[in-house]
This record gives sequence, structure tokens and C-alpha cells, in this order.
Amino acid sequence: MDNEKKELNGLGLSIEQILTSKGIQIGEGHVNVLESRWQALEELKGNLENAKIDDADIAVRNIPGGDHVE
Amino acid sequence: MQTLRCGISQEVITLSNSLITKSVEELAPLLETRVISSVELTKAVLDHAETKNKEINAYISFSRKEAVEAAEKADKEIRIGHYRGMYHGIPMAIKDNLYIKNDVTTIGSKIHQNFVPDYDATVVKKLREAGAVLTGKLNMHEYAWGATTNNPHFGPTRNPRNLQHIPGGSSGGSGAAVAADMSAASLGTDTAGSIRIPSSACGIVGLKPTYGLVSKYGCFPLSWSLDHIGPMTKTVKDAAGLLEVIAGFDKNDSTVLNVPVENYTKQLTGNVKDLVIGVNEEYFFHQVDAEIEALVRKNIQRLVDQGAKVVEIKIPTLQYSEWAEMITALTEASTVHHRNLIERPDDFGDDVRLLFELGEIPSAVDYLQAQQVRRQLKQDFQKAFEKVDVLIFPTLPMLPPKIGEDDAEINGRRVDLMDNIVRFTGPGNLTGLPALSVPCGYKSELPVGLQIMGPAFKEGLVLNVGYALEQG
Repeated sequence: MDNEKKELNGLGLSIEQILTSKGIQIGEGHVNVLESRWQALEELKGNLENAKIDDADIAVRNIPGGDHVE
Repeated sequence: MQTLRCGISQEVITLSNSLITKSVEELAPLLETRVISSVELTKAVLDHAETKNKEINAYISFSRKEAVEAAEKADKEIRIGHYRGMYHGIPMAIKDNLYIKNDVTTIGSKIHQNFVPDYDATVVKKLREAGAVLTGKLNMHEYAWGATTNNPHFGPTRNPRNLQHIPGGSSGGSGAAVAADMSAASLGTDTAGSIRIPSSACGIVGLKPTYGLVSKYGCFPLSWSLDHIGPMTKTVKDAAGLLEVIAGFDKNDSTVLNVPVENYTKQLTGNVKDLVIGVNEEYFFHQVDAEIEALVRKNIQRLVDQGAKVVEIKIPTLQYSEWAEMITALTEASTVHHRNLIERPDDFGDDVRLLFELGEIPSAVDYLQAQQVRRQLKQDFQKAFEKVDVLIFPTLPMLPPKIGEDDAEINGRRVDLMDNIVRFTGPGNLTGLPALSVPCGYKSELPVGLQIMGPAFKEGLVLNVGYALEQG
């Protein structure tokens, strides 16, 4: 059960593995807090995967020709 | 003793104590008519701020010499008839993540404690053009990533209304300084509520303008798609006037939109007859301290008594907004600090380091789903604003806790501070819509704030509703 909880992103990686693989040294005592905070975030996400969030929506834009359309 | 040049009573203008407590709207005519000088006012504010800072710790640094020079310049300009407007000669300090050329900008951090920008932020440039007098830089939550202003490098800022409590954050120094008369007005930044939270906690007015109305050039980023700069002031009119100063297009900031800057102060009529107020019960009145809820509803009723009406509205996507806000803020902030998290992790405060670590966990899919939620949420709000003029709800669901506490209390139940303190402010950042916090009463001698949110670029409307409440 503990192992299941610690696996993320369907890759079987724990939080500790994800962060250390990026060269990040995790703060003392942070691993457990990170796990519980991540769990809380997953709970906030709720049933989003099944929600009607329109896949066709363009949520991130690409504006050619510079920063501003003037 | 001042020489009187117009018919204002001597008692009002001779006591520096009475000067520092005044709002900008009260001070501006006194400066314009030369009843008081900017030098006199600036020195009075600085004298008070330097003394008061020992207990409040709102300032990180003071700029007395530069401030007095700027005040002398303002006095000279006013004397020869070049009055620039409401903020000319007004002494004010700003949050320490806004760049002042050749002045240390710490961003509340150890890593940037000696950082000296070689240019002014656009908002600083605009303040200088308006003749404002910059008195110093204000304390903040480290890198603006938190809501307590319990800063490990510069010490905690204390809430002037009760020194044991936090002033909110991340612009806690700005909130405390304005509330304690240590600055006539201020600028804060807001990524998940960092203007509105301290404004509510300290009992002042705070406006998060529409995303794209105010340039962020020269503001150290926390989360660039959520960051905003805005006024923190004693009155609604002060906020309207300050927004007129700082708003406007800037080619240096890709997120600024080329929309006209309106005369917001002129829109403050206080008339709310036929105003349609939207109330969303499911999200914005869910899990709220009962006394805070009662205060907000009482103030909505005051607007109804003045001719407004209330319509209940649904905003379904709000159920995912907290997740989308956190995923967006966490990942963007961790991107900004990624290199230092690898190379200098011990130089961050422990709470901020933990958040940067947390922001390294979500996947790209998480981030993009959060942006999809965001777009859906914007559409929901747009539909809501076809039916109502503004939405009104509490700024915070609970009172600001004591310094050092990681949780807060809602109706006798202990709740996580971070999860709850941004619950009602985050949607304003996700959607980019303007949101104003105004004081609406007290609970246990701590101020309570009410939030007014409106359609994009309708700051005049939002401010006018706040003005109607303020005028009572």
C-alpha cells in the first residue's frame, strides 16, 4: 500500500526518485511532507480526468511575429 | 509650524501625527495647495516608520536621503505650478520584488540579498513620473511564495492590528506598512492572492487589476502567467488613483495588453442602483468562518439597501480551480528557481524550498490540464458576467493565524493554512479578472475583508462597488 501511494505518474517512480533524478537534494524531513502534499493535490484534482474539459480548447497560445499584436 | 495658505484649520495641518494617518485623497489637496510640503510629510512618515519598524518589521530598507531629495523636487515643482496629480509628493514604500535602479532588491531572499538592478521597474518609472516619493522597500514572503511574511532572512512582519498575528502575504510588508501609517500607500504583487490576503488581514484596500493592465517589467517573477502588480491603499479612491498611475501598455512586457487606461477615480460615484450582484454559494461561501460569512452577507445587504439586487449563480469549474492554481503556480515558480534549487538549496527558507521541490513533481500533462481548466474557468466566469455585474464573496475564509502557525481555524476546526488562505483569491489569478478586497468589519479585533470581482478591464465598476461600501 505504501509503495502504491509513493508511485507517481504511472512510471513507478517515487517522489524521492523523481527529484533526485533531476539532481535535487531533498530537504531534511521533506520526503514525507512532499508525499502528503502531493496526495492532497491529487485529491484536489478530484474527477478531472472524467470531466468535460474540451480537448480541442487551445489553452496555450503561440503568437508569431513578436510579443505583441499592434 | 506651517504657514497657512488656504482656509484649512491649523489643528488639522500642524500635527505630523495627523498627517501620517491621512489617506492620499486627503493629503493630495493639501500638497497641491501647499498647505503642507512633501518634505514635511515625507520626514513625518519616515520618522514614524523608522520607530514603528522595530515592532512591525514592515520595511527591509529605508531610502531617507533619496526620499527627501525627491520630496524637495516635488515641492519645487508644485511651487512653480507643475502639479502632476494625486500622487505628486506622496511618500510611499513598495514591495521588495520591484526593481529600483541602483538600489538593492532582495526579493525577501538570501540568494538575492545583494542584487542591484540596473533599471527601474516600469511601475517604479511611472511612480517617479507621477512625482511619488519612494521611502524604502518592504518585507515580503521569500520570493513571494507564501502567505505569512514569516521571512527567515529578514524576520517576520507583524500584523499592526494584533502583533501576534501574521499580516498575510506575500505582500505582508505592504499591508502592514499602509495599515500602520508607515507608508501612505503601497504596491504589492499578487499570484494567488498576495495583494488581497494582506489587505484583508491588515484592514486596508487591495486591488488585483486585470492581467495585462499593469506592466510587470522589472518585477521578479513568481509565476509569470499568474503574477499581477496592484495598489494597496487606505481608501478605494487612493487605489483608483494609484491604478491610473501604474496602468498602461509597455512594449517591455509581453503580457501587457494595449488597452486604454481609464479615469478610475471619476467612476467612483457610489451609485449601485440596479447593480446585479452574483453570489456563488457552492464555492465562495463553502467552509467559511460563520462570523466572516455573516459580515460579508451583511455588507451585500447594505448594497441591496442602496438599490442593488442579488442573483445566485453557478460556476461549475471552480471545483478544479484550487488544483489548477496550485499546479500552475508550483511548476512556474519551480522553473524560475530550478537552477538554484539544484545548486544552492540550503540558501532557501525551509518552507519555500519545500514548495520548490513540490513544483518539480507535476508532469507536463498536469500543467497543460491545469491550463485547460483555466480556460474552461474563464468561459464559466464570462457566462456568469452575462447575468451579473460583479461577484461578491469573502477574501479569506478565516482570520489570519498567529505567527508560526501552519494551520488556521474555521468554525472550531483546524485547517491547513496554505490550502485555505488562497482558496477564494486564486480564481482571480487563474482567470486574470479584476478583484478588489475592501474592509467589511472585525472579528476578535482582527479585520475582515470582502472581495469584489468583475469582468475583465472593469476596474472602474469593481472600485465603485467598493467605494459604495466604504462610503456606507
